[in-house]
Amino acid sequence: MNRREFLKKVYDFLVMSYLGSLITFEELDALEKSINKPTIVWLHAQSCDGCSTSLLEGEIPFEDILFKFANIAFHPTIMAATGEEALKQLIEAKDVGDFILVVEGGIPVAMPHACIFGDRFITDWIIDLAKKADVVIAAGTCSSFTGICAMDGMYTGDVSLKRFLRDNNIETPVVNLPTCPMKPHHFLYVFFYFLKTKKLPPLDKENRPKEIFGETVHDRCIYYHDYQEKIFAKKIGDRGCLFKLGCQGPVTYNDCEKSSFRYDKYNCIKSGHPCIGCGSENFPRKIMFKRYDDEREIKKYKDFKRIL
Amino acid sequence: MKISIDPVTRIEGHLKVETFIEGNKVVDAKAHADMYRGIEKALIGYDYLAAIQITQRACGCCPYAHAEAAALAIEDALDIELNKNGKLLRNLIIAGYKVNDYVLHFYTLSSLDFIDVTAILNYKGNSDKLNQFKEVVKRELQSKSIFPSPIFTNRYKGNYLELKELNIALINHYLEHFEFLRKSNELVRIFGSKAPHMVSIEAGGVTTKPTPERVLKYIELLKEVKKFVEEKYIPDVLIVGSHFKEYFKIGKGVNNFLSVNTILDLDGNYLFWDGFSKDFNIPEKVDPNEIIEYQDYSYYKRDGAYKPLELQELLPLSLEEFKQNKKKYSWSKAPRYKDEVVEVGPAAVVINNYLRGNKKVVDLVDKFNKMLGITIKDYNSVMGRHLSRAILSKIIVEKLEEWINLVDIDELGFIQLKNVPNNVRGIGLTEATRGVLAHFTDIGENGFIRNYDMVVPTTWNISPLDGKNRHGALEEMLIGTKVKDPKNPIEIARIIRSIDPCLACSVH
Repeated sequence: MNRREFLKKVYDFLVMSYLGSLITFEELDALEKSINKPTIVWLHAQSCDGCSTSLLEGEIPFEDILFKFANIAFHPTIMAATGEEALKQLIEAKDVGDFILVVEGGIPVAMPHACIFGDRFITDWIIDLAKKADVVIAAGTCSSFTGICAMDGMYTGDVSLKRFLRDNNIETPVVNLPTCPMKPHHFLYVFFYFLKTKKLPPLDKENRPKEIFGETVHDRCIYYHDYQEKIFAKKIGDRGCLFKLGCQGPVTYNDCEKSSFRYDKYNCIKSGHPCIGCGSENFPRKIMFKRYDDEREIKKYKDFKRIL
Repeated sequence: MKISIDPVTRIEGHLKVETFIEGNKVVDAKAHADMYRGIEKALIGYDYLAAIQITQRACGCCPYAHAEAAALAIEDALDIELNKNGKLLRNLIIAGYKVNDYVLHFYTLSSLDFIDVTAILNYKGNSDKLNQFKEVVKRELQSKSIFPSPIFTNRYKGNYLELKELNIALINHYLEHFEFLRKSNELVRIFGSKAPHMVSIEAGGVTTKPTPERVLKYIELLKEVKKFVEEKYIPDVLIVGSHFKEYFKIGKGVNNFLSVNTILDLDGNYLFWDGFSKDFNIPEKVDPNEIIEYQDYSYYKRDGAYKPLELQELLPLSLEEFKQNKKKYSWSKAPRYKDEVVEVGPAAVVINNYLRGNKKVVDLVDKFNKMLGITIKDYNSVMGRHLSRAILSKIIVEKLEEWINLVDIDELGFIQLKNVPNNVRGIGLTEATRGVLAHFTDIGENGFIRNYDMVVPTTWNISPLDGKNRHGALEEMLIGTKVKDPKNPIEIARIIRSIDPCLACSVH
């Protein structure tokens, strides 16, 4: 693949990621030639590595794109450097500034010792680095909405990245990209939007890009009409809306169905399983999948609302 | 003197390893697991089926194994047997994910410790991909920038591969493997829905209907996956092995290996067998009730050893206690089998299956041993572990081909569960990519979880000292290792990466 073919392919991905009207092919070409490539510092807080894995294995050739359009200063899973050499990058970063900070995983405020990196609490790293960053990307549900890191009965007292920065009076803009794990094309969207405009895309009140999180999964669901006609599946494999099996689609804002022609080809609902709401601020719920005749109540939206 | 590697990069999660050196030899080692979430006890009060989704989030690299183990535990408790498609589809997902994970470990995580990336500068051919990479490396070497520093060339000095052509060929495969990962990831998603963190593995089978389109897509992708494994991955492991022969002796740990039955075939036999072996003697059968976990050196309030499900809560040290603490040094517990330190993982699977005479494993091991001039005892080593992954991958891809052709089109591989269960217990045992994984579930009233425990592969391998002051498997592997240059402890890094530590899993 030569350069032009490569750019064409990247442009294809951009169009699929809602960027067609923002960036022209010529601009993409110029961005690739530009020597002022943004630097990325990628931190793992209480993460499972899922967002990184998702990014590297998704359908978009991210290793190519990141090498061409960005400088990756620090990413624990791909960098060759180990130990002190690797840590130097973070120490430099907080002096030099001017980079995109990506944080994956929840932030343990009540127990900062639950996540240590280079003999320092991750909370201290994030404070130092977020102050100097141009923008901060909360990758995945954990850093956006605490997700799995703040289940009932946990001691770590996790908060979302947005709240953590607010509590520490850091004003760097934050964008939330919930979904467990983060979807690669969401990252691509924010990254190229920033590359072109040096700004974050329009965000909703939960700091999610409006373009992506404007509708619920339910709004675009393949079973939407079944729902309106009150045709409900009684068990897995039946035709019909999965609502009565515990589907969280109606309360989950995401583009799973909207992008199902391209990126989410095999999405959960198409795979016969109700949506578990992995991108929702209330993930994980106590019950995520149940029998049609299961009388136990899936608690209402409000009861579970966490402090974001 | 002390060498501290912190953070250990190119693994999953937060690990710090300290080694203490006397006369160029490691005399003591400490593996610090630096991250804690507390998922297992937080599951109390959640629905029994939610465990399948939530425990996956322990790990972004082997979520499939947690889904499987959690589902197996429920199926064990409720006495459910999957139907034919249920078994096949589950195997197609989990075994496919395994191959993806093995390849990821070799190329993404480990190969930069062996390949000399600077060899690309001598490349004179006309592959666009290699020439582009050459530019990247050239730019890195010319750059004097400290931040951002070069991502490929900023590495330990050490004995990397010397042959130029070989390096270039391996770099090419390194670059190609990203494409492979995308394909194998899609392979998993066909029936798994998304990856990582799939939803379609449920207690009772797999919710995805195997439509003709999905089956055909699987067959198409599997061909490419198989080709990469057979033509690139396995030869690469063999050639790196033959150039780093000394690494069949380096990184030798305890001679106790634990593996469990995994991947149930249609005939009722497992693809890989269980076993607990000592000093390469015939393995004995495994009993999950023999597992205990020590907490003496782990950052939890209680000391002592406990069986799974014995404790109802697990209290971590508070910040104050943590600061005052001198003894405890890891969030990981220290699991022991029959009160012995064991190694788990691909090498343990290969060794136990070889000793028990699993024909598929024996044939491949004998063949590779002859080529490399090694014996089964050399699998307890850095290269032995890499080679074991290649062996398992080879066996798996052949089986995948067989299974996909047996799938009944459009038949649902899922059994509707009966009513919500009350007061039952179950155990789910499987092999994750990194070794033995055990889930213990205790379902209380109304289907809500009363207690939950997970004993995870990396916990066995990176465990700290136990109540009897015995080192964990990784610490044992490090002790006795010769380090040529303490400023560039590449030997230590290679040993750590050989067990493919996954810290997110190990502490959960």
